Amino acid sequence: MISLLGRSLVLAALAFATVGCVGGYVAGSRRNRTAWIWARNSAYGFSASMLAANLLMMYALVVKDFSVSYVAEVGSQATPTYIAIISLWSSLTGSILFWGGVLGGYTALTVWSLGEKYKEYSPWALHVLLGIAIFFSMLVGGIANPFAPTDPTEFPMAFLPIPDGRGPNPLLQNHWLMAVHPPTLYLGYVGMSVPYSLICAALLAGRLEAGWMDPVRRWMLVPWGFLSVGIVLGGWWSYAVLGWGGAWAWDPVENASFHPWLTGTAFLHSAMVLQRRGKMRDWTLVLGMATFLLTLLGTFMTRSGVFNSVHSFTQSEIGPVFLVFIGVILVYSVVLLAFRSHLLEEESQRSETELGSRASGAPTGAARLFSREFAMLVQNMLFAAFTFTVLLGTLFPLITEAFQERRVSVGAPYFDKWALPIGLGIVFMMGVGPALPWGRTTPESAGRRVLPAVGVGAAFATWSYLMGFDKPGTVLALFMIGFALWGNLYELIEPVWQRMSQRKENVLTATTKVVTRARRRFGGHVAHYGVLFAVFSLALSKGYRYEEDFTLAEGQMASFAGFEVTYAGSELVKQPQRESLIANFDVTREGSSVGRFGPRMNYYPSQREPIVTPDVLSRPSYDLYFSLIEVAKGDGKTVVVRLIHQPYQMWLWWSAPIVALGTLIALWPQRERERAAAAAAVAADAVGASK
Amino acid sequence: MTVTRSSGPKVNWTILGVGLLVVGSLVAILGSGFGNDPHAIPDTRTGTVALPWRMVDLDGKSWSLEELKGRPVVLNFWSTWCGPCKYEHPLLLQAAKATPDVVFLGVIYSDDPQAVRRYLQKAGTAYPHLVDDNGRVAIDYGVTGVPETYFIDKSGTIAHKEAGPVNPQLLREMLDRIRR
Repeated sequence: MISLLGRSLVLAALAFATVGCVGGYVAGSRRNRTAWIWARNSAYGFSASMLAANLLMMYALVVKDFSVSYVAEVGSQATPTYIAIISLWSSLTGSILFWGGVLGGYTALTVWSLGEKYKEYSPWALHVLLGIAIFFSMLVGGIANPFAPTDPTEFPMAFLPIPDGRGPNPLLQNHWLMAVHPPTLYLGYVGMSVPYSLICAALLAGRLEAGWMDPVRRWMLVPWGFLSVGIVLGGWWSYAVLGWGGAWAWDPVENASFHPWLTGTAFLHSAMVLQRRGKMRDWTLVLGMATFLLTLLGTFMTRSGVFNSVHSFTQSEIGPVFLVFIGVILVYSVVLLAFRSHLLEEESQRSETELGSRASGAPTGAARLFSREFAMLVQNMLFAAFTFTVLLGTLFPLITEAFQERRVSVGAPYFDKWALPIGLGIVFMMGVGPALPWGRTTPESAGRRVLPAVGVGAAFATWSYLMGFDKPGTVLALFMIGFALWGNLYELIEPVWQRMSQRKENVLTATTKVVTRARRRFGGHVAHYGVLFAVFSLALSKGYRYEEDFTLAEGQMASFAGFEVTYAGSELVKQPQRESLIANFDVTREGSSVGRFGPRMNYYPSQREPIVTPDVLSRPSYDLYFSLIEVAKGDGKTVVVRLIHQPYQMWLWWSAPIVALGTLIALWPQRERERAAAAAAVAADAVGASK
Repeated sequence: MTVTRSSGPKVNWTILGVGLLVVGSLVAILGSGFGNDPHAIPDTRTGTVALPWRMVDLDGKSWSLEELKGRPVVLNFWSTWCGPCKYEHPLLLQAAKATPDVVFLGVIYSDDPQAVRRYLQKAGTAYPHLVDDNGRVAIDYGVTGVPETYFIDKSGTIAHKEAGPVNPQLLREMLDRIRR
């Protein structure tokens, strides 16, 4: 029954997507109102059908209806309810159904948010978005059908005394972050289809007004925020579950999430240049399109089985079908750009002339170098270089295999070698950009603005050196962080200070007014703070980590990093889906108790090797990490434990809510009055007001 | 703001040419990966003739692979201290009952035969369990842990080695293969 209903819902979604896609095309090309209404309603129909199909699968997983093939694959009688629910995205076909559900949610929100405001573009946007939806509906309704019925007369069910399955992958059952990390990343990945559709809509409509960039930028910001948070949560999951004490390993699938983040970040910056100065238009659109294409590449990496990764599924017939889809989208994007690029050029020239006529003389020569747009151009080039470097390293095994018939991986040293200089360059530009005005300024004025940031950078570098973090790369990184931090803080402090001195407002009122009147700008600065938190953590935790393995009998004590760690014995905890052996360690520091920590080994019936779950003492300035390596056979009275000490690890996790807050501030709708004030500020920038 | 309208088809051949070249190369590189599963860890014994052995079951009856030639064999290395072995036990039991033409044999790995008898009394059995003295057969077969299951076809060739518990889908596929 569930199989039939689920398949019907997916097929209904396919029908709605097809009608909506055709309706969008007719409405866009013929300005047909009826077709637009059909397209819009079909989009809602697609969303409702896909979301209902997802809810139905969740229900099947919860009630353990093994007549559904996906439930038989990932469910088991012993699986607790909350794990049964998150099993929706634990395996290949379910994760594609979930993708469809998220696309359904985004589609409905896109239609709702565009409303009747952008009649020239909206039909085309729906045409493209529902075209993508057709592919995913076909996938879920066809070769990746999770609702396929399990044949009760066939082998597995006929052999089992009661219907049962293997249960989800044990790694997915080990931490609550598995309930949050994949959906957050999906919201990031799938959401990139919206800005892609809006960009294609502009090209298809043959209209490229600067005003259209507002929804495009906003719709890029939404998935970008989710992607940023999802990447950090993924690192946290890796740290909290895999037992190696690290958050990022340059794994192909980790890199796959990083590529669209890099291009998406570059897009958000170049879109500002486009909106304010009418420049970098074609580059910006290419970045937006590339971001979606890179999310598809990331999805392919996980689902094709072509890449070796802890995240990836094994090879199936879905891989080649997905590759065909990537090929179609790539060709479509290239053809669209090739046939419409003359519009970009015409519009670019016109916008530059328009904005230039309002400026008091266009900046020339060296003056161009001292402008915010030039800083953003440099920063964009660095983002592009970073994306290319990581992409090349990720694809390298496939490239070598294509030419030499053997796989050669470049490994973490390659990525680390390039990530450090390019990453620090980006951090440096993060400080330079805000310090320079739009338009132009003089070298002296630029120097006056940058000098305090250099001072703060020098203070950070000195602190780093004095604290013993004295490797040249670390000292340089801390300098860059201080430099960028001041550049971004000053943008908030200066206007707040002006309000306080001129209007006699208190700090809170002045800050609130400054932030609410330029939300997009200050949202960006807050997001920068989050990124700086992450860079600070990465610079110190990775380079100054040390670890040691101890073999401890019950009651035995080890000294490590100023702590006394005593093994207090083990206990066996039985749960329906697993048995866990917890080794307890009492930790003291200079005689005072710090607490008891219990890393564990979890034994799952479907897994030959136990899965470790580490335990962590987390403080702002350090983490003490316990990972159980081995438990002596028998009573568990002797254990081997790995202790890891790494400074400032926690700051990496803090970066996620800060970036999310920044995104939220930037996205928060402005009232008409505030929007007018912001537009006036943009106009002031456009005339090249130099300070 | 004024509007720019399309005034006829103009094609930027540079974008088209370079774009399609990049697309073609990327798709070709990605497509070249199919057929080579990076997850697969090849087992050198798969596809070779299974090494001969002679072992005694818990009832004292002697068994040898030589005598089973011409019949498909499932050789399952297991022990009572291994959780995943207990997990797959009912499945193997059901499979053995459903396919009487296949010889199912358990090989006790690093375990006490008395403990095995006690476990089988409780969990039930449908096929003999052989005692591997000093783990010699396990060493010959390259067993790295339990459970491990070898599927040997009628010609005595190892069709597949499964490290870790078997699942219904795999069991079905392998039984189909060695029964041909």
